[in-house]
Amino acid sequence: MTQQMRPSLDDPRVAIPADSTWYEPAPIPQTERQAEFLTLREGEMFVNMGPQHPSTHGVLRVIIKVNGEKVVDLDPVLGYLHRGVEKLCENADYHQAICYTDPLEYVASLFCEAAPVAAFEKLMDVDVPRRAQYIRVLTMELNRIASHTLFQGWMALDLGGITPILWAFIERDEIVDMLAALTGQKLLYNYYRIGGVNGDLNHEFMSRLGTWMSRAAAQIDSNLALINENEIFVRRTRGLGVLDAKTALKMGVTGPNLRASGVPYDLRRDRPYLVYPELEFDVPTRDEGDSLARYLVRMDEIKQSIRIIDQVLHEMPDGPVMAKLPRLLRPRPGRAFGAVEGPRGVYGTYAISDGTDQPFRMRIHDPSFVHLQLVGPLTKGNLIADTMAVMASLDPVMGGVDK
Amino acid sequence: MDRRLAALLTEKFGERLLTPVRQRYDESEIRVALANATDTLRTLHDDPALRFEMLIDLCGVDTGEEMQVVYHLSSSTSGDWLRVIVPGLDRTAPRIASATFMWPGAEWMEREAYDMFGIIFEGNRDLRRIYMPDDYRSFPLRKDFYLADDASRSPAAGVRNMERAGTPADATAATVLRKSPGV
Repeated sequence: MTQQMRPSLDDPRVAIPADSTWYEPAPIPQTERQAEFLTLREGEMFVNMGPQHPSTHGVLRVIIKVNGEKVVDLDPVLGYLHRGVEKLCENADYHQAICYTDPLEYVASLFCEAAPVAAFEKLMDVDVPRRAQYIRVLTMELNRIASHTLFQGWMALDLGGITPILWAFIERDEIVDMLAALTGQKLLYNYYRIGGVNGDLNHEFMSRLGTWMSRAAAQIDSNLALINENEIFVRRTRGLGVLDAKTALKMGVTGPNLRASGVPYDLRRDRPYLVYPELEFDVPTRDEGDSLARYLVRMDEIKQSIRIIDQVLHEMPDGPVMAKLPRLLRPRPGRAFGAVEGPRGVYGTYAISDGTDQPFRMRIHDPSFVHLQLVGPLTKGNLIADTMAVMASLDPVMGGVDK
Repeated sequence: MDRRLAALLTEKFGERLLTPVRQRYDESEIRVALANATDTLRTLHDDPALRFEMLIDLCGVDTGEEMQVVYHLSSSTSGDWLRVIVPGLDRTAPRIASATFMWPGAEWMEREAYDMFGIIFEGNRDLRRIYMPDDYRSFPLRKDFYLADDASRSPAAGVRNMERAGTPADATAATVLRKSPGV
């Protein structure tokens, strides 16, 4: 039995047409930009990354145009996790809409709930009891710490370090278990309600929180010592993917990525919501705008979050945790935009009411979606491996990007 | 609520505003006609007294009768967020000028609005589908797009003939749109 040998791709005598780097027929360009992207110059080729790639933090496909080892251009392909949440919310009532938004950002889902709840409360003119506001701040800051510690582990993992993510998960698990004791869920909490929160703080949550707070600062410092001064980590991130303040504003960047570029914009201070005006905290910024700065800003934010939690625990008043509201909510026709400062930037929800018990239109704005646009501009001219470093430092979560 | 901002906006734009400035909580809202949209955004961005330099969000809205494009802007001089509503886009062929000349970051948000509503943003260099596959024909967030559960109510009518998957034989009533002309 003879088997015909297929020509090896390594054989220099074999001519490979440029479009053979596609495993499917090359797409027909639909736009000017796509036509530009699909045009290969001398020495360039396409490399496909994803959709299932550990560095894409979810299901993302990136088509990278490379020249040798250098990235010339890239084109992210989204939509693998698209569930049509906005459409589902239009067909659900106001309470149901909140739990649809939970799985958007599965690592910081309390923020995804907080934005629509804020918008709905504006639509309905609800006054949230002060204790509920404090509980929201407390749980959100805990969730922020969980998200940032996980970011730290992910970022190190994308740069080739295995250990930090194991350490990060220790911290995250503590917080997640704590929130599970409070909300009944480990990941998708569905805890905030229009007009308050679902259930007061319980004993198990408080005892876990107390134990964790007594050693949190020291534990997080030791986590930071693990990679902050690691030479490989610093050399691979310093000066990489520099984003200046002007470009950041033009690109609609918010959150830690913007603050790492030197713009001290934080909704908690600049457009205060809940009880943040009464709490004392700093807004950490950096001027470098590179991947290392984006990492360090987040690490500084963890410390500020611990500071906020400490104040919240001291100042939390007694009282009800839910406002008195009818079961069926029919807000007057109107429009409202609710926004919160999440671990990745501004989470916003733009809700339109037409007087029925379902939102007429519910727009969900997710910061990761905007930040993912930057991966292309920031990685041009760098090595392929640095794409992951830049993407990790921007910290997109695909659940939120794809909605 | 920033009263000063309302006065300033009324003074700057005058009769260009379709309705008086509305304010509620920490949001101000203005409506401008399609023809003035680009100029208004440029003034809001460049004017030293306004300086709305951050585009927080851009989205499309289908009211069932017309399309709207809504911008949310944030300023470094005012505590309020500004919502700019551009109403009156034709539902059958919605077109508006792109905001990418000023905020390149609007590119993907406009792609999303195109993908979900079919709004054409003139001047966007990369206006193609972003979530749905390239060969998808419908615009899912339009009010005449029914979810699978609601399909029995729908005579399968899309917006354009291309989208018409075929009218089922037992379809009797015309599509009942959930319309909200008031919002």
